[in-house]
Amino acid sequence: MRRIAVLFLALVGLGALAQTQVRISGWGGTDIAIVNGLLKDVVQPRMDREGIRVVYEPIEGDYTQWLFNALSAGTAPDLFYVDIFWSESLFATGRVEPLDRYFTPAERGEFLSNLLQAFTYGGRLYGIPKDFNTLALQFNKDLFDEAKVPYPNQQDTWETFEAKLRQVQERLKDVAGLCVVADFARFGAFAFAAGWKPFDEKGHTILDGNFRRAFEWYTGLVRRGAARFAQDLGEGWTGGCFGGEKAATALEGAWIAGFLRDKAPNLRYGTTFLPLDPVSKRRGNFVYTVSWSLNAASKNKEAAVKVLKALTSPEAQQWVLERGLAIPSRRALANNPYFQRPGKEPELNRIVFQGSTPQGGNVFPFKFRSLGGDWMRPINDALLAVMTGQKGVDQALRDAQAALDRLTGRR
Amino acid sequence: MRLKARTLEGLYALLLLLPFLFTLLVFFLYAFLRAVYFSFTDYDLFSPPRWVGLANYLRLFQEPLFLTALKHTLAYSLIVTALQTLLALLLAIALNQPLRGITLFRTLYYLPSVISTAAASLLLLWLFQRTGLVNQGLSLLLAHLPHLGAFLLLFLAFQGVQVAWERRKGLPTPFFDPALAALSLLLALLGVYALGALGALVPREVRVEVPWLPSRASFLGLPYPLWAIILMNTYTTIPTFMVLFLAGLKGIPRTLYEAAALDGATPWVMFRHITVPLLRPVLFLVITMGLIGTLQLFDQVLFVGGSGGAPLESTITLAFYVYNNVFPSGASPRVGLASAAALVLAGLTLLIVLVQRRFGVGERGWS
Repeated sequence: MRRIAVLFLALVGLGALAQTQVRISGWGGTDIAIVNGLLKDVVQPRMDREGIRVVYEPIEGDYTQWLFNALSAGTAPDLFYVDIFWSESLFATGRVEPLDRYFTPAERGEFLSNLLQAFTYGGRLYGIPKDFNTLALQFNKDLFDEAKVPYPNQQDTWETFEAKLRQVQERLKDVAGLCVVADFARFGAFAFAAGWKPFDEKGHTILDGNFRRAFEWYTGLVRRGAARFAQDLGEGWTGGCFGGEKAATALEGAWIAGFLRDKAPNLRYGTTFLPLDPVSKRRGNFVYTVSWSLNAASKNKEAAVKVLKALTSPEAQQWVLERGLAIPSRRALANNPYFQRPGKEPELNRIVFQGSTPQGGNVFPFKFRSLGGDWMRPINDALLAVMTGQKGVDQALRDAQAALDRLTGRR
Repeated sequence: MRLKARTLEGLYALLLLLPFLFTLLVFFLYAFLRAVYFSFTDYDLFSPPRWVGLANYLRLFQEPLFLTALKHTLAYSLIVTALQTLLALLLAIALNQPLRGITLFRTLYYLPSVISTAAASLLLLWLFQRTGLVNQGLSLLLAHLPHLGAFLLLFLAFQGVQVAWERRKGLPTPFFDPALAALSLLLALLGVYALGALGALVPREVRVEVPWLPSRASFLGLPYPLWAIILMNTYTTIPTFMVLFLAGLKGIPRTLYEAAALDGATPWVMFRHITVPLLRPVLFLVITMGLIGTLQLFDQVLFVGGSGGAPLESTITLAFYVYNNVFPSGASPRVGLASAAALVLAGLTLLIVLVQRRFGVGERGWS
């Protein structure tokens, strides 16, 4: 009897030895179901052949705080999400492994180049984009029909788009054309369209004439009767107004699809590109993206890289895309039949995907060196002050410029 | 070797205290010493801390955001502590009256303190929206100012006539005699209603649309969003202190009041010379706890700044400043600066409590 027990224990021990464990983490919420499904259907079957077991530890609560703490304390997992917004301050710490030597140039070339660029810091690649998002314009077809106003389309400029919004708001009375937020994460796309860049070559931020043109247009929408201020409608984001049919249009990414599926499943909406700047004849956009990155202190880097490759493999991205869960970061998937399917969600996902391509115009990743939210705050404050009538454009921009100068050391 | 009984007893006490001492050592003393050390270094959680001496403290006092936070924290603490102590005391005295059904009122008035700060903050957001209850209430009030004025005039007129009538009958009637006032109130209401129905009083077109939360406007030197938080916090902390005061009031011997009443003392004199001196230990507790609690204001700032859209400069407090520097959104942690700010906050709390104890209400009862 004892001999059998010893044999059994030895076998179990061997099994455990032969299997390498790779821990991966990301934030919780809806991602948990997606990653679990992906692991079960795509990743783990492949890893079983390699003798690797993937342990998924999603984090509820403030993920950034958790990751910074875990990396600092040496308890971080082998692979983890990195959001583009705080990526640079994390990469600067040296706790993230550069991936250049694990991925051949051909392998890297399969991903959208501007996404790879977004995760490149100091000439090295620190993350493989798992998916991404851009902004698109969603419009409520029923409301536009009711107001007898033509739908927004991709030829619209700021002026023609605004005219349509004004008509909707005028004719439907209790519906806003758009609900605007005092947030650079939305307004920025218009400033980019005007040809403005967040940083000059010295790393300073200059709120130039182009910025001002976009600023005046955006903040004036409410005054000119084309939009209402989101907070006045009791909402915090344009999607909230859109889902509650308080506004006829929204400026959001593909994340709005899941929200609308729950909140307003029968809402008939269409999606098109953001309007063009009438002067530069271009549009602008943000790329919001998240990568899988490798812990520099990981004990099984080779195994972790295998998991990383499986997580971002064509099969994995196909799996995610077919369920309409996220926009793939691989170039080859641009022509996927999914995007051509009829329906509001494939259309939304297609436009969001194309938002990152040259069709999207002047596209910038949603990151501001290692300054993060501190950099956006002066601009958000200026937007808020003008939109609520507390300051004039001149005063607001002067104050914002002064705050940005202090921050970037231009003064 | 046999231990002496006293030593043994001491050892047992230590053994039983150990769990508490352990947590105190690890989570308080060790953390505190680390914070003191970090406050003299430049530290981002990753690279080893670099000694910078007093640079963090000097930088703090040059940073406009920190100075704003300091100003907000001090003002907030003083205003809220004063308001909540005063109102809690008044409420406790009112609820200490031997009236029928007073338990129901005690329960009702205690309810606000059961609300979690998150829920209270959400209520605050709704109340202070541009289309929220506060603005609607103000609009209603301002629109009906003529009605209000007319009501007041009518009430005074009816009351004056009635009182004059009673006095002519030789009855000593005070002007605000409750029985007469009730009748005047009814008559005045009817009068205003009649005037409104006849079209003599028309509501004015007023729409108050003050953006209370997404605002930098200020009143008496403090931004609107902070005033909103002040109101909310006063409202939710009054009941807790009210209960403490009630307990204190129950402990005052009735005989003192009876003796004072025999000597012909007025209620005000009894309040000043019996209630307040005997309540002093409770008063000390309430003021000290109020000061410490208000100096640490944090969660409402997070909510009002996040979902309420209030600009950071309008709501920031020292506790939030510390948090915002350890975990700045999208930037590297500034642990050194945050530790320095945290120590300033700790020192400030200690100082204020000591000053309060020295010059304000002491913990000892009457002497």
